[in-house]
Amino acid sequence: MNTLTRNLRVLRRMTAAEIAQQSIYRGSWVIFMLANIFVPVTSLLIWRTALAHGARLPVDERYVTTYFVLLGFVTMATSSWAAGFIASDIRLGTLSSWMVRPASLLLGFVANNLSEKLLKLIALVPMIGIVWWLFRESMVVPAGFGRWALFAVAVLLGAVLVFTIDILIAALAFWLDDVSALVQARVIIASVLSGAVVPLALMPSWSRGFVEFQPFRFTVSFPVEIVAGRLSGAELLLGFGLQLGYVVLAGVLARVVWAAGLRAYSAVGA
Amino acid sequence: MIAARELTKTYTFHQQRAGLGGALRSLVRRNYETRLAVDRIGFEIGRGEVVGLLGPNGAGKTTTLKMLSGLLYPTSGELAVLGHRPSERKHDYLRRIALVMGQKSMLWWDVPAMESLLLHKEMYGLSTAEFERNVDELAELLDVRELLDVQVRKTSLGERMKLELMAALVHGPEILFLDEPTIGLDVVAKARVRSFLAEVNKLRGTTILITSHDMDDIEALCSRVMIIDHGRLQFDGALDELVRTARPRKLVRATYAAPLGDGVLAGVEGVSGVEVDGLTVRLEVDRDRAGDVLGALTRLGPLVDLDVADADVEDIMRDLFERRGEPS
Repeated sequence: MNTLTRNLRVLRRMTAAEIAQQSIYRGSWVIFMLANIFVPVTSLLIWRTALAHGARLPVDERYVTTYFVLLGFVTMATSSWAAGFIASDIRLGTLSSWMVRPASLLLGFVANNLSEKLLKLIALVPMIGIVWWLFRESMVVPAGFGRWALFAVAVLLGAVLVFTIDILIAALAFWLDDVSALVQARVIIASVLSGAVVPLALMPSWSRGFVEFQPFRFTVSFPVEIVAGRLSGAELLLGFGLQLGYVVLAGVLARVVWAAGLRAYSAVGA
Repeated sequence: MIAARELTKTYTFHQQRAGLGGALRSLVRRNYETRLAVDRIGFEIGRGEVVGLLGPNGAGKTTTLKMLSGLLYPTSGELAVLGHRPSERKHDYLRRIALVMGQKSMLWWDVPAMESLLLHKEMYGLSTAEFERNVDELAELLDVRELLDVQVRKTSLGERMKLELMAALVHGPEILFLDEPTIGLDVVAKARVRSFLAEVNKLRGTTILITSHDMDDIEALCSRVMIIDHGRLQFDGALDELVRTARPRKLVRATYAAPLGDGVLAGVEGVSGVEVDGLTVRLEVDRDRAGDVLGALTRLGPLVDLDVADADVEDIMRDLFERRGEPS
């Protein structure tokens, strides 16, 4: 059995066990997802009100509506909370019990991410369905399967990018006593630059070049733009090229830093 | 099977004074210190041996165990285990070893232990038949069959340790590293763990390297002990050799039917520390004079009971550790 097959089988088993453990807390997923959808729906109402009162924006009502309806799903689907847990395992030495077993050290965190997202989706999708139905007259629904397939790929790559950035930050815990400030900084910066708070299309025109090429755009905004916006074929190609490039870059950096970190690991505790 | 030469590990850490002043000072200036945890130790361990790694807290034994199991990179020196450098953590190496830490769990707490065993089945690439055979054998030896489907968090400490051992051994490792496996267990659970480990060593030929502060663990399991102190290997040999070297005298206790007079055994060669307490005499005797002294004791009066023993290993270790830093 090769390494990939073995790791996939381990991942499947871990994900199943994680689902078994987390499904105990089903009520909390509903509350989590209500909170998750609250901000985009509030933003949607504010921007629609602004447009109704004659605000001149570079995007129309259909873009704003589609953007915020999809935003709750995409931010959840591409989110990662692994950095704090990985850093804690490094700092407290609990990584040790995984290090002596023949499987990737990150599989447990991947399984945790996948299983939580699956359970959150079960709670979130009906809520988004209701919001979609309420605003159905203003939604952009691309014809055909193509845009939705590209949307799915962009969400997947966005999720990989966020997770990889998390590993990169967490790996610094091999040298730093506390990386929580870095984790928090990443969350704050990403929430603005990913388009999770305000659509990047509404950013000042002088910031346009930077905003369009920075990595966080590809974690949230880019997948939503594929459905809500009118990205041309060239813009799509450039977008996917940049997204893939950032995934590879973050992956290589995370791998190098992680490998160096393992050499510095002190395996504290008995 | 295991060969270490000039194995060394140093840690670097920063020191911070207590209080707000110390915290603020450390913001602008930090004092880094380097601590030598393991200092150029060397040893070889053969297949099927059970070796006890002993030493006081902070002596370097757990650091040594962590280097052997691949958790820590040695600072210098050479280390080969099963033909591998442990720190490379190659798949072929990790699938042939297991590490059980008394204070760290490898089981998922919120699900039954069987979930963790099934995870190990995938990790170690065990066939279903092999997995079922090993689970059956280990469950029988450890008497935990009825615990396999119980949430781990609902089991007692002793039961959890047995399940930890089962998880560690389900893939049939060639080497088992144990760090304080009986810590916190009651006497019954300790005895069960010890007999299980002895059985595993006997049946499977598993090489076992164990650190423990419980000398009963060491006496019950180890044919060989290595004593580490201040990061240096102070002793490496058989347990009875350690006893003979550290306490070369036998302890004798004789009980008589009638009180003995004064000056018991006065002038008998090789005897010391004679204490008379009512009907009982306690003394220490040189090993090579033991036969003569026992003969003399039988002639002192009507003998009711006679006990001859080596010094307690616990006492020997305490003596050794109290003399920390002095090479033996």
